[in-house]
Amino acid sequence: MKHRVLVMCLVLVTGGTTLVWAGEPTEKIRATTDKILGVVRDPALKGAAKEKERRALIRKAVDERFDWNEMARRSLARHWEGRTEEEKKEFVPLYADLVDRAYMSKVEGYSGEKVKYEGETVDGDYATVNVRIMTQKGQEISVEYRLRKKGNDWLIYDVSIEGVSLVNNYRTQFNSVISQSSYASLVKQLKTKVASN
Amino acid sequence: MKRFDLELAVGIFIIAGGIALSYLSIRLGNLEVVGKKGYDLYAIFSNTGGLKDGSSIEIAGVGVGKVKSVSLDKYQARVVMNLKDEVKIQEDAIASVKTRGLIGEKYIEITPGGSDKMLAPGERIRETQPAVDIEGLISKFVFGKI
Repeated sequence: MKHRVLVMCLVLVTGGTTLVWAGEPTEKIRATTDKILGVVRDPALKGAAKEKERRALIRKAVDERFDWNEMARRSLARHWEGRTEEEKKEFVPLYADLVDRAYMSKVEGYSGEKVKYEGETVDGDYATVNVRIMTQKGQEISVEYRLRKKGNDWLIYDVSIEGVSLVNNYRTQFNSVISQSSYASLVKQLKTKVASN
Repeated sequence: MKRFDLELAVGIFIIAGGIALSYLSIRLGNLEVVGKKGYDLYAIFSNTGGLKDGSSIEIAGVGVGKVKSVSLDKYQARVVMNLKDEVKIQEDAIASVKTRGLIGEKYIEITPGGSDKMLAPGERIRETQPAVDIEGLISKFVFGKI
């Protein structure tokens, strides 16, 4: 009888902890999201005058979590192999600026959206974290972060918004530009796009 | 002797007809009889949007295989794909469910990756993109405008 109670307690305790315990990947995403939200919400950083400072702080938080090298490699896909070391070194920051430019405006326009963490799946060195962003209008946007373990850290290598993958989007676009003209013209296009910000 | 020839001819004719009929039904029914061609890979999708067995798999619009089976696995869709032997898929390739036209049939499009590691038969295409829920998007667009 005593044993049975002990086993019951054990089951309850371990069962309880797995329910409460959110995995490491989710915690990493949560930390980065909170950091960004902290910057956007900070009254001391509001206004057009502080825009540069605000953007730099957000970018710093994003850089810590995104594996730009891996994302750039996956986006260039077949065309990554043929690039020289210099070209790769030039491309990665350019790519980071491009993604940053596309999403910064969305983050900047923050108006009290709530973020709900909906669970994660871990499979060896890969993990996905599902997040739901709820706007004040009651819309729900589902976001899926795909992460890879690097050393002791989990880094994002792809983001799916409403099921549309960022890497896949750039992969098809880059591929069509490169096959229609050349890699050089892709870099030129990206440069003008980033500079137009 | 002559009678025997006639019977033989009829027999051969019937057998030939039978072979033609079975060939036709195998081809039309997409059955595999002699050995298995190609190799299998699988992928997990959160939504297939009604993908069926036999739906085509394409790379750059070119058919490279067929969907072998679609089944439910932990409330997600597990799709087994049969690909041609000569088509190699990188481990960072992305499989996405697409629709032909706006309301056409569903198929799987694979965008090849850049990794030098190729998937072996039976392995999983990790990166997937579910079918885009057009109704959902329209309703979001409609209600988002208010």
